[in-house]
Amino acid sequence: MNTWWLSNQILIQSTFISLLLALSIQVPLRAGVFSFAGIGSYAIGAYTAAILTIRAQVAPVVAIGAGVLLAAVVGYLLALLVARLSGLYLGMATISFTLFLGVLATNGGDLTGGATGLFGALSTLTTEHVIAITVVVLVLLAASERGSFGRRVDAVREDPQLAVSLGVDVVRVRRRVFVVSGALGACAGGMNTLLRTTVSPETVGFHLVVTALTIIIVGGAMSWAGAAIGAVIFTWLPSILQFVGEWQLLVYGIVVAIAAVYVPGGLLGLLQEGWRRMRRRGRRLPAEGAVAQTQAAAAVDPEKELAALAAPTTEVRP
Amino acid sequence: MAQDVLNALTLGSLYLLFALGMSLAWGTIGILNFAHGSIFMFAAFTAHLVSEEVALPMPAMIGLGVLIGAAMSVLIQVLAFEPIQRRARDHRKAELQIIVGGIGIAIIPLAIAQRITKSVPFGYSGGTFRVTTYDLGFVRVSNIQLVILVAALGLAGLIGWWLRAARPGLALRAIGVDSEVATMMGVDRRRLALLTMAVAGALAGLAGVLLTYYLGSIAPESGDAFLLKAFAAIILGGVGSIAGVVVGAMVLAGVETVVLVNTDGSWTPAIAFALIFLMLLVRPNGLFGRQEVRRT
Repeated sequence: MNTWWLSNQILIQSTFISLLLALSIQVPLRAGVFSFAGIGSYAIGAYTAAILTIRAQVAPVVAIGAGVLLAAVVGYLLALLVARLSGLYLGMATISFTLFLGVLATNGGDLTGGATGLFGALSTLTTEHVIAITVVVLVLLAASERGSFGRRVDAVREDPQLAVSLGVDVVRVRRRVFVVSGALGACAGGMNTLLRTTVSPETVGFHLVVTALTIIIVGGAMSWAGAAIGAVIFTWLPSILQFVGEWQLLVYGIVVAIAAVYVPGGLLGLLQEGWRRMRRRGRRLPAEGAVAQTQAAAAVDPEKELAALAAPTTEVRP
Repeated sequence: MAQDVLNALTLGSLYLLFALGMSLAWGTIGILNFAHGSIFMFAAFTAHLVSEEVALPMPAMIGLGVLIGAAMSVLIQVLAFEPIQRRARDHRKAELQIIVGGIGIAIIPLAIAQRITKSVPFGYSGGTFRVTTYDLGFVRVSNIQLVILVAALGLAGLIGWWLRAARPGLALRAIGVDSEVATMMGVDRRRLALLTMAVAGALAGLAGVLLTYYLGSIAPESGDAFLLKAFAAIILGGVGSIAGVVVGAMVLAGVETVVLVNTDGSWTPAIAFALIFLMLLVRPNGLFGRQEVRRT
């Protein structure tokens, strides 16, 4: 365990960082907001952390925290700007925002180090810190997926008009989502910079958009767990795929394409589907011999069967 | 000065050829194909591979690129976008899946080309066509520039006229406005979608081969850059409007050329992004867009 931990430190770190990055896209997506601003926030966080660490030698907490705050504010302002847009148009606007930041970093002169970027951002951040932060984030996100807040977000995604008529403040939910997405992206970017000690315009480009999207699409877009599955797969896939050598990228492309086209719910969706089927089978078995009558009645009434599946605790079985 | 204008027009024409097919597919059948850049690159790349074996004249190379582009585009439509549109619960979900599917598919041709070329730029030195430049006194124009200008403006005019005047064009526009009602009126949505994707792919292939002739050689990665420029051109002009794409592509190329001539060029890539962002904020439908074509 210990040697495995030491020899795979880089992969373990990037698993958690790409998970946070993917979550910065997944959180808006769960509220039906198709925004790539989280990737731009990654760049903001990465550069803020690097600049503060190199110039002021501040503690990693301050360096990352400043980036998170800045990205949250930028996210809020961006949400105000693009409030009129939705769907693909919002996606395009936020993607150009993200890529514009990359060009800005290239032209930032001494502050951002131009095309070569910044080097020597040494800090005391360790893998344990990264894991701890990620776990806290995951707990908070998991909590936000439950209860009344989770249902409100679901309503905003599935039918914004209906949500408004039910008293959900759709505009506020959308703005919050931008802020959270910005904070998550900046956190990932800041931690990655401090762990790798460098940042350059190439490391915050379009490929991050592709990475984050593929993680949540293959894993499953509707929950943090999907992003976690995707992050593990796509961080560790390259080392498993070493036997295909130079065709690695090709395999990667095929996996993404197949997942996007034929498995829209992602691996998490497949797992949930399988779990549901298993449970349904398990529940039918005891009813078979004893009360064949009721079971037949339940079977012809799919509505009742569905209700029984949805609310297992309140159901009364003879 | 005249030289800069001519260069900007040539660049704009290349953007136009590339963006035309994308805009057509997006504005009518609602498919925003992120693999368009890969089709563009791979068609040019296949022509390069063939030209290494047999020395072909330019028309044959163009024909080859057009065929490969159309075939790839139709294949992607049948294998990926049709199943997505058939299965997706609602329009918004389908849109997202089409984007992600396109991004995934785009990796495949890129990976193949990168593997074979080892990321070294490729050109058509094996073909028989040679670029020659004519000096007209005030401006120097090459034969390939003339081909690009004529092809881009001619095809844009042709497609614009076809959409406006021909019956299939009318049917295609009807799908763009409301695909369900159009189907009830007897429009064969599937066939028209295949036709649209074939035309879009053919235009991408044409643009790829012409760009390779124009620049001498292109890298496998150049498809991505063109994809983003095409978005800018389409958003600027308005989705689904042919006149809009023409103006958008020319304006983008013009602004880029002005910035490139007057600065050291490091800001040039930002222009496309800034144009997209500002246009979406000020006028999301683009200069020529109409409200009903907007898909949100």
